[in-house]
Order: sequence, then C-alpha cells, then structure tokens
Amino acid sequence: MNRVFWAILGKELLAFLRSAGLVAMVLYSFTIDIYIAGEGIQIKPRNVHIGYVDETGGGISQKILTHLHTPEFLPPKRYRSQKELSRSIFNKETLVGLVFDREFEKDFRQGKKAQLNVLLDATAASQSFTTLGYLQNIVLDFSELDLPVAIKTHKLFNENADNKSFMALTELLSVITLLIVILTAVVFVKEKEEGTWEIMLLMPVDPRLIILAKSLSQVFIVMAGVVLALGFVVFGAFHAPMNGSFWAFMLLTFLYSFSSAGIGLFVAAVSNSVLQVAQFSIIIMMPLIFLSGAWTPVYAMHPVLQVLSFFSPLRYYIEGSESIFYRGTEWIDLWPYFSGVMLLGALLYWYGFRKIGKLF
Amino acid sequence: MKLGVVKAYMLKELTELLRTRLIVMVYLMPSMILILFGYGIRMDVSHARTLIIDNDQSKYSRALTSKFEHSRYFDATVTQMSEKEALHRIKQATTDIIVIIPSSFQKRLLHGQKSEIGVFVDAAFPTRATTMESYVQGVILNAAQEATQNLGTPKGLIIINNRNLFNQAMRDEDAIVPGLIGLVLLVAPAILAALLIVKEKENGTIFNFYASALSKREFLAAKLIPVFLLHSVNIFILFLMATKLFDVPFRGSFTLYWLTSELYILISLSIGMLISVVTKRQIVAVVLTVIITIIPGFLYSGILMPISSMVGESYIEAHMFPVMYYTHILYDTFLIGEGLASAKTQLYLLILVFYALGMLSLGTLFLKKELK
Repeated sequence: MNRVFWAILGKELLAFLRSAGLVAMVLYSFTIDIYIAGEGIQIKPRNVHIGYVDETGGGISQKILTHLHTPEFLPPKRYRSQKELSRSIFNKETLVGLVFDREFEKDFRQGKKAQLNVLLDATAASQSFTTLGYLQNIVLDFSELDLPVAIKTHKLFNENADNKSFMALTELLSVITLLIVILTAVVFVKEKEEGTWEIMLLMPVDPRLIILAKSLSQVFIVMAGVVLALGFVVFGAFHAPMNGSFWAFMLLTFLYSFSSAGIGLFVAAVSNSVLQVAQFSIIIMMPLIFLSGAWTPVYAMHPVLQVLSFFSPLRYYIEGSESIFYRGTEWIDLWPYFSGVMLLGALLYWYGFRKIGKLF
Repeated sequence: MKLGVVKAYMLKELTELLRTRLIVMVYLMPSMILILFGYGIRMDVSHARTLIIDNDQSKYSRALTSKFEHSRYFDATVTQMSEKEALHRIKQATTDIIVIIPSSFQKRLLHGQKSEIGVFVDAAFPTRATTMESYVQGVILNAAQEATQNLGTPKGLIIINNRNLFNQAMRDEDAIVPGLIGLVLLVAPAILAALLIVKEKENGTIFNFYASALSKREFLAAKLIPVFLLHSVNIFILFLMATKLFDVPFRGSFTLYWLTSELYILISLSIGMLISVVTKRQIVAVVLTVIITIIPGFLYSGILMPISSMVGESYIEAHMFPVMYYTHILYDTFLIGEGLASAKTQLYLLILVFYALGMLSLGTLFLKKELK
C-alpha cells in the first residue's frame, strides 16, 4: 500500500517536472508575478501632480508649496489662470489644484481667517483624500495655533507602513490558491481526457489512496513554490518582517493547500476538459479571493458579503498569515484560523473526494 | 469574399460557443467581476474598530470621545482596559485602533499645558493604517481647535476650502466602477478569443481551415464577429449595472461611450486572438492571457493609481497598453462629461483606432495557413 502511494506521488512529480511549460508557469507565478505585484501596486500618494495659481505676492503661498515635496508630490507647477488649471485637471494631468487668491495673504497677515481654495480630482479618491490630509497638517503648522494636544502615533508591527512586503504577501496567498486548485484539477482532468481515469479507478488499488497521492503531490509542488517565493521575493527582495512563528505559517499553508486541493477535486469532478477547468476555476476562485479580505477587511464589506466570506477558506488563511507575519500572534491565539481552515478544508476535501472517486 | 463560407463558419462558431457552455463565461464573468470588485474594494476606511482608553473621565475627554463615537469612520468603544490588554486585542485582530487619553488631560488643558494622546494603529494592512492614522489625527485636531476657540481667539488661521471635482461625495463606487469596466472589457473578451484558434489547433480541426478556400482574413473575421457581437451586449449590461446598481452618475455622451467600448472590445479580442495564433496549447493560452491582461489592466486602469503619478518604466508601460486610453474616456463619459470637446479625448480615441488596426493586422500576419 505504502509503495503504491509513493509510486503515484513520484509519478505525478516527475510528470510535472517533465512539462517545461508548467514548470515555467509555476516558477513565474511564485517569483516574478509576486515581485511585480509588490513593486507595482502602490496606493499611497506618490508623485502627485500639483498645480497652483498664485495671485498673491508669493510669501506665504511659496512657503506652503515648499512643504509639498518628493516622494509624495512632484514639484508644484504654476498656471497663469484658474482656467488653465482647471483644464489641466479635466485632462487628468493634475490631481490637486491650489488657488491662492488676492485676499489670501492679506487676510492671513491681518490675522483674519484666510481661505485657501483647493480643487481635487476626486476620481482618484484615495490619493486626493490623503493629499487633502497632508495639506491640512501643513496649513495647521502655519496657523500659529498652539494646540494643547500632541498626538503620538505608533503604527504597530509595520512602523513605516511599508506596502511592498504586504502586497507581495497578499499576492503570494492568491497565487497559492490559484495554483493549487488549477494544478490539482488539471492532474485529474488530464487523465479523464485521455480516458485513463476509469482504468485507475478499476485497478485493484484503493481509489482513495490514488486520489490522496495525486493531490498530495500537487500540494508538495505548491509548498516548494512557497519556499521559493518566501526566500527570494517576500523576504529577499521586500524584507518582510516575521514577527510570529515561521513554522506556524508553513503548517497553516500546508493545511490550506490541502483544503484548496479539495476545491480542485470538485472542479475536476464537474469538468471534462482542461478548458472547462479554466472556466470553473476562474468562476470559483474570483469570489473566493475577493471575499477573503485580501483587499478590504471583512468587517468593512457589505453585510451579505460578510456572511458569505465565512465560507471562504482563504479568509482564515489570509487573516492568519497577516497575524503571523505582522502582528506576531502567539500559537494559542491562532486557533480560529487553524480551525477555520481545517473545518472548511475537511468539508471541501470530503466532498471533492466523493465526487471524483465515483466511477459513474 | 466568400460570404457563404464565412457565414457557415460563423454559424459553426456560434453553435460551438453555445454547446461548450462558453457562452456562460461571456455573460457571467464580466458581471461577476464588476459586482465583486465593486462591492469588495473599499479604499476608504469606515467602521474602524476603535478602543478608547479614557484615563481622565472629564468633560473635555468626553467631548473628545464623543467625536469618535459620532464619526462614521469609527466604531468606538470607551473602556477602562489596561494598555496591555488592548494591545492583545490588536494581536487577535479584533481591534484596529487604540486611543489613549492621559489621566490629567483636562487639568493640563485648562492650564494651557500640552498633553500627549497616544494612538496605536494596526499596520498589518499598511495603506489602511495610513488612512486611519490621518482620520484619527483629523478628529483629535478638530476637537482641539474647537476647545481652543472656547478658550481664546486664534490668529492667522488658514481654512482649506476644498472642492471635490467629478465626485463630490468622494464615493468609492464612482471612483472604482468606471475603471473596473475598463478592466472587465479587457480581460473577458481576451480570454474568450485566446481559445478560439488554439482550440482548433489542439483538436486538430485547424486542418479544415488549412484545406478550406477561406483566406486568412476571412477566417479571422468568421472567428471574431460572433464573439464581438456577443460581447457587445456586455457594454449595455455593464452600463446598466454601473448606473443603476452602483449609482454612478453618467454625465457624458452615451454614443461616445458605446462606440469607444465597441472599439475597445475589438482590441481586447485581437489581443486574445494574437495569443491564440502564437500558442500551441489551450492551457498556456489561458494562463498567458490572464498574465498579460489582468495585472496591467489593474495597474493602468487608474483604479489604484492615477497615470499622472507614474514615473519611469511604469509610465511608459501604461502608454503601451490600451487600458489607459479607454479608461480616460470612460471616466470622462461617466464623471466629467467633456466628451469630444477635449483634445485629449480625441487623441485617445484616435490612438484606440490605430491600436485596433495594428493588433488585427499583426494577427493576420502571424496566422499560418499551412503546415510548417
């Protein structure tokens, strides 16, 4: 029995290694793809184009403008009239426009309330909103207000709010999900397409053993990919922190891959060709990924989506991984994630197992 | 042009789409992406779970905590918990923000001394952390300003009067949904088209084409026209979803939106077709299309980052993909409403026309009509 198990497992691994296209795809997903996501996706304001119209003598206005510096802002560009400024905003060349009108400096010098007009391109809502926040802080410094409070903020676990390692980690988790489902499904469907799956089931070997060995082989491939991605990209290129236990993460990943292999089994059971696998996996995976809280925390979602998200194993996996990497949560406090992944995983695996293991 | 043959081919394509249930993909995928992303992505932070540890319990500290309680950005709870316990709550991911008001807050305030308010933000999700931080600062500074106004008159105050153009309420839906249409109409047609030719290669039916009297151009037309027509319906479906479901305003001309979208679908289809022409296996074609379309589609659609903020390679790359031109026109028709009056829209429309022509001729160029 043991021998059969290892033979099937080895055969699947060998088949994987022999298909150059598949190996290249897996390598790409676990390295370059994650790198691009970490490097490319920045939501913080960066290089924001600022335009301004200055009808004052330029004393205060220039002082305010010098506070808008790189990397968040590009050097502010001067426009001759409000009309030119708004045309540039309408053409989406400028994100934020400042208008210092004649009254501005006069009022300020006289100690009256001076009004600074700001035009924001609100189609890039988050950038312009943050820019507004920056401006408010700058302006507050100017008003010689002696506020009686000082705020001391601590950004816990990630003091610089470094987004790169976070995006890379999130992408890694999505890649794991995508690959384990597609790879597992394809392994079974290829046999179905070639007609060898029936033969496998008719062999004097326990079908459960075959299914287990086949899906485990794909879990191994993904685990190897995870190690690569962690070493080269997440820790190597982006220096992600690891505040919790590395082995807790690996164990969680293993359990999660296993439960997602269950989804792969289900996909394999309902599709007859590789093409249908692609379709079904996209249709199943998209909701899974977007209900998981990878982009928006679950509690900020629409209430209906919040309930649905309980059924996404990725939700527990992502929250758990964030906790391990950044929050440094202890083993004991990780139980909700482990039990969520295991419970859903067992269900999915059991269901997929029954679906694919039946001959007719 | 052998119209009869082309028509027969088109009929065959259509039947195949129906029989293989690929038709489900044509209509299910775009709407699904729009709904999931539209409801799922929130850049804005609301209902951040906030713990306020009020060690002072005075009039002024209560004034500050009530500010938090009345803001829609925070779900504030005032407790007497110890700092350590509160930090443990953050570790369990059940709290996002802790605000600590020191014990002699009111006394020092009335004496004109500074007191320090401690704020702890869970930065495991970095961008949200930055946003939450600025919201907390905003609330506290606002409260402080009010308090000082009661104590004495401020001098030299600058007030920011901001006008949020195009999206006054700063709704996330308005900012995201048009960009999503640009993403959806790139990904869905491309994936479909990517399979059209490679499928025949894998099944061996491509030999029918090699042996038939059809020219390369007629073959491509017969392949693309049915899916093009099917996908054109999506333009209207997505429009209705955006305006009715997500309540995004539509300020521009519908004709411009419609025609540009048709053009854009043609481009997406020809990108997929180009992939289909050069690849040999279906699975490779699908994966390649996903890689080529989804990530650039996201990055350069303007959902995450305005194009004007890009520098270096990403600026050049953004100009190489069609997404940027299309989403510019999309945002214009939905939120801005300048239409063809703007020279930039005209230029971008022209670029899209040439893009479509270029992609189609590349496809014809690479397609082989005989065995090598």
